Amino acid sequence: MPILFQSRSKLGGDDVTSQALSVELTSLLHDQSLLLQTLFANGNSAHVLGCLDSDGKRAALADRGLQAYRANAGALAVRALSAAYPVLSELMGDDSFAPLARYFWQHAPPQRGDVGHWGGALPDFLDAEPQLASEPFLGDVARVEWALHAAATAQDALPDPASFALLAGGDPDYTSLRLSDGVTSLSSSYPVVSIIHAHRIGQPTLAQAAALLGAGVAEHALVWRRGFKPDVRVSSAAEHALVRALQAGWSLDAALTAACGVESNSDAAAFDFNVWLTQAVHTGLVIGAHRMRTVHQTPQHSNEDAA
Amino acid sequence: MVKEVAIGIGWRHPHYGDLLESLPELDFIEVHSENFFGAGGASLAVLHQARAHYPVSLHGVGLALGSATGLDLWHLDQLASLVERVEPVRVSDHACFARGTLASGFDVHAADLLPIPFNAAALSVMCANVQRVQDRLKRPLLVENLSAYVSFKNADREETTFLTELAERSGCGLLIDVNNIYVNALNERLAGSPVEAMASCIQWLDKIPPHIVGELHVAGHMDCGDVVIDDHGSRVAGEVWQIYRHAQQRFGGVPALVEWDTDIPPLAVLLDEAAKARAVCRSSFSPVANLAVTT
Repeated sequence: MPILFQSRSKLGGDDVTSQALSVELTSLLHDQSLLLQTLFANGNSAHVLGCLDSDGKRAALADRGLQAYRANAGALAVRALSAAYPVLSELMGDDSFAPLARYFWQHAPPQRGDVGHWGGALPDFLDAEPQLASEPFLGDVARVEWALHAAATAQDALPDPASFALLAGGDPDYTSLRLSDGVTSLSSSYPVVSIIHAHRIGQPTLAQAAALLGAGVAEHALVWRRGFKPDVRVSSAAEHALVRALQAGWSLDAALTAACGVESNSDAAAFDFNVWLTQAVHTGLVIGAHRMRTVHQTPQHSNEDAA
Repeated sequence: MVKEVAIGIGWRHPHYGDLLESLPELDFIEVHSENFFGAGGASLAVLHQARAHYPVSLHGVGLALGSATGLDLWHLDQLASLVERVEPVRVSDHACFARGTLASGFDVHAADLLPIPFNAAALSVMCANVQRVQDRLKRPLLVENLSAYVSFKNADREETTFLTELAERSGCGLLIDVNNIYVNALNERLAGSPVEAMASCIQWLDKIPPHIVGELHVAGHMDCGDVVIDDHGSRVAGEVWQIYRHAQQRFGGVPALVEWDTDIPPLAVLLDEAAKARAVCRSSFSPVANLAVTT
């Protein structure tokens, strides 16, 4: 039974508005920023020691205390990024990944109190890092892993099988498909899915994935959640275009037009919507159909999202 | 008659399966709220399974109630959603700060429990933030005392005074972490304090009015020689059990929790510590209180 709670109307009393308190609040804000600056930017400890108890014997303890906070942050950074990017961590090895995680903590610090939300900017960071220029696929591997990480806590799917009746009788311009939450379709110039599968399930082997990388194979990656398990598979260009169009709010008709209009190879010709839909429903990628109130986009208006 | 006190353990990922399979006798379990933020997924489903068997206490590490820059309303929304789903027996967080702005203008969250000065400004900030959380959750919050490795110069009152005023002004309760008091006392000794650590802890507890205390925590710590760290990575020290006994006697028997967050051992070890917490409690309220288990 919920505990009844009586709100207190007087919080800080008259003190809150007093000038003295206002000065103290400014000082508090300053001191807190200074400590954060020292911890995150490896700032000069001398500045923050000025507002800490650091006289006499306390100086050594304060210095040791700051060191303890920094060590804790460093360990947390490695733990958090290893959890979100297990394949990237394996690819780079502990000796490279741990310093990278600590460096990234300093340069793109968390902004939320849930450290599980920290790290989404790592792919762009990897792309821009000159020291990693010889391994340009790492950014895309990280993008797929972040999509898997995000899918793990996406809204649980609530399939609506009866809604598929709309596909037979609904106005095609105002009917679309509902994808499960957590779906992400990514286009990469590298064999990202093969690299991730090689590390996660051993199929293909690491040697085979390396050969694909060497041969310049590109892959589209489709991330979604199969029950509670985030999964990824290779996607065709046509499927990539279809999923992106559906996510952009296009009608099914318009999305299929986009899928069939992809320039690449024989994907579009080989794309069989009925076969695709059966598999997509079976694996939890598509959870129902819905009637649209308005047509958000059509290929004639814009095809940027399905590009 | 021996007073029965609710005893629980911190339920962490390595024990998700073990606990649900064995369903040991516990009065409640406690989880870190932030580990269950998000709209869905396996972790949340597992928590719902556990909720069917145990009362759940939601213990936060990220509200950063003492941040002068204010609360992160996204965080509060997530917590409110979780509270609505789980209907926890208690909700708690810490008397700390973590949010602020760097010189670059970048807003950050330190993802740590950083200390606040015990003065009027910090009290005002804490009261306002606690009140905002309580108004949103429509229930009182428990606020936990920290183990702190640095302290600000401009304190104008003792920690116990600060926490008592916080409780009286905001209507929150206190979650007293007995190990944190002891860790702070040991670090005070390293800084040259002449007061013996155990005596310091007893004095600390005796300054807290019993009616504002809602829960106790015990955990292990690590003595690094030049600093003592509250790492929650070992069994509860004998001295901490003694302080815990005093706390239970002074506060009249309040729910208590064993925390273990690093180098997590098999579930049986935590259950053994929980049994010890129960035994200390029982002996604390029995006529022969001095025959307690305090190994």
